[in-house]
Order: sequence, then C-alpha cells, then structure tokens
Amino acid sequence: MSFELLIDILIATVPLMLIFATVFAFTTWLERKALARIQNRIGPNKVGIPCTRIGLFGLGQPTADGIKMIFKENIVPTGADRLFHLLAPILALIPSMLVLCFLPLDFPWLNENSVKAFLLDGAVIFFFAITGLNTLAVFMAGWASRNKYSLLGGMRAVAQMISYEIPLVLSAVIVVMMVGSLDAAEIAGEQKGGNWFVFYPWGFAAFVIFFIAALAETNRSPFDLPEAESEIIAGYFTEYSGFKFALFFLAEYIAMFAISGLAVTLFLGGGDGPGLAVLPWLSVIWFLAKIFALIAVMIWLRGTLPRLRVDQLMGFAWKFMLPLSILNIFVAGFAWHAKQLDSQFIMVITWVISLAVLYGAASGLNQLNRGKVRPREYKYAE
Amino acid sequence: MNEEISFWILSAIAVLGALVAVRKRNLIHGVFALLVFFAGLSGLFLLLLAEFIAAVQVLVYIGAVGVLLLFAIMLTERVAGDDDRRMISRGWSWGLLAAAAVFVVLLLRPIQQLPSQDAAQPIKPSVEALGHKLINPYVVTLEVLALLLTAALIGAVTAAQGLRMPKEEDSPE
Amino acid sequence: MGAFTRRNAIVVLFSVEIMLNAANLNFIAFWRYSDNPELLHGPMFTLFAIAVAAAEVAVGLALVIAVYRHFKTVDLESINTLRE
Repeated sequence: MSFELLIDILIATVPLMLIFATVFAFTTWLERKALARIQNRIGPNKVGIPCTRIGLFGLGQPTADGIKMIFKENIVPTGADRLFHLLAPILALIPSMLVLCFLPLDFPWLNENSVKAFLLDGAVIFFFAITGLNTLAVFMAGWASRNKYSLLGGMRAVAQMISYEIPLVLSAVIVVMMVGSLDAAEIAGEQKGGNWFVFYPWGFAAFVIFFIAALAETNRSPFDLPEAESEIIAGYFTEYSGFKFALFFLAEYIAMFAISGLAVTLFLGGGDGPGLAVLPWLSVIWFLAKIFALIAVMIWLRGTLPRLRVDQLMGFAWKFMLPLSILNIFVAGFAWHAKQLDSQFIMVITWVISLAVLYGAASGLNQLNRGKVRPREYKYAE
Repeated sequence: MNEEISFWILSAIAVLGALVAVRKRNLIHGVFALLVFFAGLSGLFLLLLAEFIAAVQVLVYIGAVGVLLLFAIMLTERVAGDDDRRMISRGWSWGLLAAAAVFVVLLLRPIQQLPSQDAAQPIKPSVEALGHKLINPYVVTLEVLALLLTAALIGAVTAAQGLRMPKEEDSPE
Repeated sequence: MGAFTRRNAIVVLFSVEIMLNAANLNFIAFWRYSDNPELLHGPMFTLFAIAVAAAEVAVGLALVIAVYRHFKTVDLESINTLRE
C-alpha cells in the first residue's frame, strides 16, 4: 500500500466523520431545545462555560452528555450474549458511517486527482444495500440483551424497516429512471440551476413518500414503535447503558443525516443553490443546510405527531405507500415519454394529468383504507 | 500489490465465516457468521470489478436472506438459539466421505490442466452495460425470473401458513 | 460438508447457500480473467443465480417452518415418517 494512497483516503474520509460527529452533537442540542419549545418548556439552558454562570443557551449540553455517557458503568445483563451485546452498537454505527461516503459532497480540498471516498457507478444501490444492514444491528441488539422487551422491539424494528424499505427504494427508482444513472454525483448534476426534481409532480410525490419512509427507516417518531417507551420500555436498547448507548444514539443520528443527504441528492438538487458561480465551495454549505432543513422537519414532526399503532404502521406501508409509489413510477414513465416530444403544450397536459392521477390515487387509497380501520381489539387484556 | 493483500484478507474472512457458520452450535451466531461470509464474498466481487453484483450480494443475501433466516430460526427454535442436543448426524462419516469425494472430483480436472495465469484485461466497470444487456438479449429470462419469484413468494406463503386449523393460533406474518 | 453432516435443517440450508455462493464467485472470477469480459456473461449468470437462490431460500425456509409445525422439530433424523 503506497503512502500517498493512504493519505488520500484519509483526506477523503476523516472530514466526513469529523463534520458529521460535530453536527450530531449540535443536533441533539437543537432537538432538545426545539422539543422543549414545542412543549412549552425552556429545555437545556444550564450547561455553558464551566465554573461560571454563563449558560450559552445550554450549548455545552452535548459535551456534558458525552462525558456522562463515557463515565457511566457498562452493564451487561446476566444471560446476555456478551459478544453480540458488544458488537451490536458497532454494527449499527459502521453502515451509517459508511453510507456517508456515497453522498456527493464536493469538499474544496478534493481536487480532480485525489481519491474521492467512493466514486462508484452504482452509488445509490450501494447506499440502499448498506443501509439495510442497520436492520441486522437492531435485531442483534434486541436478541443479545436476552430481554423479552428488547426482543419485541428488535422484531418490531426489523418488520418495520423491511416494510418501509420497499417504498423508499421505489421512490428513489423514479429519479434513477429519469436521470438514467445510479451515480449520485450525476444525479445531483442533472438538477443544476434550480431544476430540482421535487418541483415535478412525480418528483414531489416521490419525495413525500421517500421522506415518510425515511422517517420509518430511521425509527423516528411517529414511527418510533421499536423504542416505544410506553409499551416496551426502550425497545432494543433497553439493556444498553453508558458508551454503548451513546454509540446507538450516534448511529441513529448519523443514519438520519445519511438518509436526509440522500433525499437532498435525489430530490433537492444536491449542492445546488444561489451563489455557486462566484464561490464554488458554497455547494457543501448548501448541501449541509438542506440536510439540516430536513432534520428540522423531522424534529418538528416528532414534537407534534402521536405514535402510530403497529397495525396502522404496517397497513400504511403496504396498503398506501406501496401502491402509490408503484403508480408513481408509471406516472414518471409517462412524463418521461412526454418530455421526449419536447412541446410546451404536452408538458402542461402531462403536469395536469400526473397531478390528477396522483391526487386521485392518494385520496382513493386513503378512503379505501379508512373503512378498514377499527378500534383496537384487546385480545389478552380486558 | 494492494489487490493481492485485499484478496488474501477477504478470502480469509470469507473462509472463516463459512467454517464458523457451519460449525457453530448456536444458530443465531451461525447466521451472523454466514453473513460475514457473504460480506467477504461481496468484497471479493468488488475486487473483481463486478460492483453491481457486489451490491446485489449485499442487498439480497445480507439484507434479505439474513433476515429471513433469522425469522425462520425465531419461529422454529427456542429463542435463545442454543442447541445442546447432538448436532452431528448419525451418518456423518459417510457424509464427510461424500463431501471429500465431490471435492476431489471437482478439483481433479483443474489440477490436470492448470491454466497459465494470464493477466486480466483492463475493463471499465459499468452498471449501464449490464442494464442494457439485461433488457436487450436477456429480457425473456428476466421476465421468467420475475414469474419464478412471484411463484416462490406465493408458494412460500402457502407452505408456511399450512392448513388453517380452526382452533390453531394465527399463522405468523 | 455441512450439508452432509449436520442434523439441523436450517444449517443444511446454510451450507447449500455457501455452495451456491462459491459457484457464483467462480463465475465472476472466470469472467474477469476470460478473453472477452465485455460480453458480461459471468455477471449476468450470477445475477440470475442470486435471484433464484433468494427464491430458493424463501421456499426452503417456508418448508422448514411447515415441517416444524407438523413434527415440532427441525431435526432431520427425527423426521423419518416415510421410513416407518
């Protein structure tokens, strides 16, 4: 292994880790603050500069949390599988970190000759393949704890992730179909100059589906059934404490960043934004800003929506999202053929028809499903 | 040079994973070892510049087959996964003999005519070419495959569901 | 080796998967070192093999579950109704 190659690899990967780990700390603070405001509280405001009374709006909170996590005792339950109990958080973190490499972030210090972390032809498919590994980590954590609530949470998480992965991939397929490439950089390049895919009818529908599925995939509320504390304590990480818990926490947030990053790449134009012609390095800033906007929406949803029931969750994935995303593929194919004709009139017609079809399908499916939702039947506890 | 080192590391991972998967008494551990084997193979595919196959390997084997195996174990074995019964079958010596025989027979031909190791031609890995191939000459195969997968799906569901007894509990999802 | 010597049906399925993967690896390797790799025969065959293997695992596990419901075991030596 040559020395220059090693240096290049480090230059390509280390900033990613540093940036996202720092951003993670800030995001936890932001989330607590925002949730507190939504719930009419103040949120963390004490931890600031040590030994003074300066609070800095509680910006020191992530550091304090981190120190606390590291010094906490690491408890492994009796009868737990020690090896898997240790491996699970690591296995959760690695895929989330790995997936960051596929995002088309053009750092200014990366020139043409340097090694991009991953310049694969099939970046998008690799992204989905590797995010799928998170499922296994969750299952491993739930199983290794040897706690029935953990196992329940793990099984719930696996079922949910598998169900929502299908609409997630199907909505990404639309963009891949329109661009004709699986390369993330090429997809982002196609949307240069405000030509974002979210501004098309099919793109908008796909973006909404993608975002909902992404929420479910990262176990965010309102889809946080695997860790529903009112039902099954904390789900698969009930038995985790100290640093391992911190790793799970980190993995979850990094996965959120990664999937928001993919949403930005696919639908929101990647690093596209005003001022790029003057300052090319702004693209990284734009990219991160868009990721943050999506994260803010996630936090907002967490503060406002109640949690779903298990049957509602599964029904929503299979009876609403899946048919809608398949229909959306047809609409996108139709739009693609209409685009080849290159006529203004046909473009308008296409817009109207696709909007009508998508809206009709969404409301129709909604009606169909609504009739079947009954109040919960209590089987064992009456 | 880099490639050679990577090749040896990945092969070691794959072989170890496979051995552990077959030898482990605890079935859940076995599944995870099997997944390590699949991951090693996926790395080898990447090394051979078949990156689409590598992605599919991760997606199908580690993502889908792994979870399927875990679910099946959860539905059949005790949850702990420990298997303290005798794990080797009665006729194991015959089985080992058969395996060895197959191995030797398979190895016999290549050893007799070991090809001179010629350098691989430089190719550009391309998912696009694969896609075009898939649609142009192999489209019928693709359709048949889709049909097969659908049939397998329905078959698997019916087989796993079994005949519904009136007093039995609900079948698993 | 596992396919012949283990008693648990699921482990036998593991072993079958390992063998299939080994075959796939051979396809890819021989494609890579073949005379005209741009024909893409190897990856194509592997792709189909993987898809068929996925179907095979699904059906195999469904059968294992069906057998388990019937016999309450997945031990291959206990399932010998046909012999008796």
